[in-house]
Amino acid sequence: MRRLFIGLGLLLVSTFSQAAKLDWQAVEEKAKGQTVYFYAWGGSPEINNYLRWADKRLNTEYGVRLKHVKVGDIAEAITRLAAEKTAQKNNNGSVDMVWVNGENFKSMKRYDLITDSFATQLPNWQYVDKTLPVDSDFSEPTLGLEAPWGVGQLVFIYDTLTLTKPPASFNELLAYAVKHPNKLSYPKPPSFHGTSFLKAALLELTNDNTPLYKSVDTQTFATISAPLWDYLDKFHAVAWRQGKQFPTSAAETIQLLDDGELDIAISFNPNEATTSQQSGKLSETTVAYAMKAGALSNIHFLSIPWNATAKEGALVAINFLLSPEAQSRKGDLAIWGDPTVLAASHITGSAKNTKLFKSIPEPHPSWQTALEAEWQKRYGH
Amino acid sequence: MKAKLFTLKKQSVAAFTFNLIVLLTVLISFLPLIPGLIGLLLAAFGYIPAIDQYTLSMTGFKQLLAWPGLSQSVSLTLFISMASTLLAALFSFAILQSCWHSRWWKQLEALLAPIMALPHVAFAVGFAFLFTPSGFIARILGEQINWQLVHDQYGLGLIAALTLKEIPFLLFMSIPLLKQLNINTTLITARSLGYNNAQAWQKIILPQWLPKIRFSLFAVMAYSISVVDVALIIGPTRPPTLAVLVWQWLNDADLATLPKASAGALLLLIMCLVILLGIRFTEWLITIKCRTWLSSGRYSLPISGKSIIVTTYLITLATLPILLMWSFAQRWRFPDIVPSRWSLRFWQQEWHYLLDIIANSIMIALISATIALAFAIIIHEHSIKAAANKRFLKVPRLLIAIPMLAPQLSLLFGIQVATLYIAHQYYYLWVTWAHIFFVFPYIFLALDGPWRSYDQRLDKVALSLGLSPFKVWWQIKRPLLSPAIWIAWAVGISVSLAQYLPTLMLGAGRISTLTTEAVALSSGQDRRISAIYALLQSITPFLFYIIAIIASRKTGSLEQQRTTSTSRITTSNVSISNQSHHP
Repeated sequence: MRRLFIGLGLLLVSTFSQAAKLDWQAVEEKAKGQTVYFYAWGGSPEINNYLRWADKRLNTEYGVRLKHVKVGDIAEAITRLAAEKTAQKNNNGSVDMVWVNGENFKSMKRYDLITDSFATQLPNWQYVDKTLPVDSDFSEPTLGLEAPWGVGQLVFIYDTLTLTKPPASFNELLAYAVKHPNKLSYPKPPSFHGTSFLKAALLELTNDNTPLYKSVDTQTFATISAPLWDYLDKFHAVAWRQGKQFPTSAAETIQLLDDGELDIAISFNPNEATTSQQSGKLSETTVAYAMKAGALSNIHFLSIPWNATAKEGALVAINFLLSPEAQSRKGDLAIWGDPTVLAASHITGSAKNTKLFKSIPEPHPSWQTALEAEWQKRYGH
Repeated sequence: MKAKLFTLKKQSVAAFTFNLIVLLTVLISFLPLIPGLIGLLLAAFGYIPAIDQYTLSMTGFKQLLAWPGLSQSVSLTLFISMASTLLAALFSFAILQSCWHSRWWKQLEALLAPIMALPHVAFAVGFAFLFTPSGFIARILGEQINWQLVHDQYGLGLIAALTLKEIPFLLFMSIPLLKQLNINTTLITARSLGYNNAQAWQKIILPQWLPKIRFSLFAVMAYSISVVDVALIIGPTRPPTLAVLVWQWLNDADLATLPKASAGALLLLIMCLVILLGIRFTEWLITIKCRTWLSSGRYSLPISGKSIIVTTYLITLATLPILLMWSFAQRWRFPDIVPSRWSLRFWQQEWHYLLDIIANSIMIALISATIALAFAIIIHEHSIKAAANKRFLKVPRLLIAIPMLAPQLSLLFGIQVATLYIAHQYYYLWVTWAHIFFVFPYIFLALDGPWRSYDQRLDKVALSLGLSPFKVWWQIKRPLLSPAIWIAWAVGISVSLAQYLPTLMLGAGRISTLTTEAVALSSGQDRRISAIYALLQSITPFLFYIIAIIASRKTGSLEQQRTTSTSRITTSNVSISNQSHHP
């Protein structure tokens, strides 16, 4: 009986993807002349320039314009989509394409802001490195509702002139802070990097991390998370500004590292040290590294809202961004340095040299909310 | 008989047209409030179809109250808002008292324009760079400084920055007011009665200045309570101010925080109203309740305006060269006082895209500020009529102030939904309308003092001499008030140029302005690129302030007009007004 259900389930899944089979030629034909409004974080001049390049290439190659709508936080786009949903604006929407992952994706999925499964039907899907967890986003199944774009790994950056042997674990990090007070910190949760720091620390500090990959149980949350709060109590006492204040973002930790206020900065780009050196934000003696246990890793994605106006244009754009050409340029250390999601054999140039650290998968997303709430209760005020 | 009937008819047609225009103005200026406020209230009480919530509940408020740190955040917000408003008012008055008659007042006045043109965000960036422990001051001293002014726990840095930024605004707003208060004669009279300058200012001019600057103080207060961007850059973080919290909740990936965010937005609005009453109460206390102090002798408070104005100008103007240096810096590390490597790269990268963006920004600002200016004048004229004639309905001040006082984000959500129902693709129309909506109260406020100070008897004299009401307005009132009109126009343009959320939310990313680009880029904390946009954000409104100042000089104050303008009808009227003031 159970087997029958599984069989039925499989059948359903396969018919689902069958039903949405894309006629790629027709897509390219329809895409011609469309303008794709791409909502993406606009804080980095390097990324903005990369997208300007993509716009030029898409225009010459496919007659598609890619307009980068720069937002400070992608949640702005989601609030907008929610408003369009409220008004039952089910076509001719204003957002054609979004750059998301994690909580934002979960939210879009939950409120039906993306409905079409497309990722696996893109022609360039064949180049994607299937050994990467490209079908789950913070352990939320993507179901092809979004296509992978790049890889993020939680790394730490230090200056070899000030630090010879960087702390290789969270316990060593605490030991370092005790020895050198006022020199370490992390971005304030609920910022993306801040919460990631908490998750990475808890994954290491707990004896058994299996519960972290399941939904949070309010009964056991206190006991499981206890080592983290214990750790943070000690850490804050010797942290930068006695833990009374925190950097607001990962970008700020990089600035503070350069200013000499912090000894270690945080980033989700394993190539951050190199790209920041090239743009003049960090000194040439800085290096990125991961903890001995590995780096908390996730993938960031591209998706198309349910009511997009230029759906075909968005498909063509995403397919192009997944091409070996676009991915190689994205991974170029002088351009952006974002690690590729394609198999290494398809990549050329300096992007080929990117070595990923040993990866630690993201915990279940419910932990994010629970940890943020508890942190807020303990240290947020 | 026939001729008389004809003129009567003509008059009633004119009155009818005027009423129609007033009605239209009210509609355009206040219509967005309806979806805005309804949207805010519904969301605060949990009715949010976007997340499948169709029942009214108190969940949002419960979540809000349960948020740890809410009380700290609320008291911190109140403290910052009240402290910065009071300090700005006090310091501005001190400056006026000690500098109004000094030789260098003209230079001070000319310098106000570049200082006001500097947008709050750009100023905050510069302020942070001056005062962080590894900032410019620390670099000059050669070592990291220990005291904390940026992101400090009590918001002292935020208070300092807001106060510094608002002093020039209040001074600018005071100029037309003081020009109409006949300071010279007041001081001469006071002196002849044995009062010195400080006593005369504090006991005679303050009670006149305060009611006239009231609306500006409201604006300053409302801004300080609802500001998000500046608070993010230099404000306290643990907990942040309530406006920042609401902003973070509204931007939470989890849409389930929307009720909490909306409840917070409503609380913010209520707090704003409470402080507003507080300011009104303080004003009453000073001008009415403390009358005894006003007339009880020669004591005055020793306040030195000169050092305050020098500090304000120094700190504000110091940010400009620093921003300029950053925009050309490739590498600028602590403790270097100047960048170690320079580069044109960032300017070159952006240059191609800037022209479009600048043109867009200016076009929207010009259109919306000009329309809002016309509307503000119409409403002011209507208010005068309404005050004289009970048959006219008054436009309540509070209604006018709401777009300025309410947190933008909460109003905009409802407005956005409304445009979606109508036809959201007219992006430029909605964005311009929203700019008119948010610019209008500022222009109205800039005209408030001058309009109140205008001597109505001039109109009566002119009317009795047989001029039509419109001619009276155009040939007498307009020239007299034109310095104020020009200034209001420039204020409107700079407010429009600084609009972030309306442009983003109603323009759906189709319309990029300097501000939308700057705010998006600021999230990446790349100081070089932020500096470029901050500079451009300052230069654009600066140009319009310069235009306004030159234009208002051409028309000038009452005294100037008497000496400079030669053949106009206004000349004779001005002398009438001067005589009637001081028989």
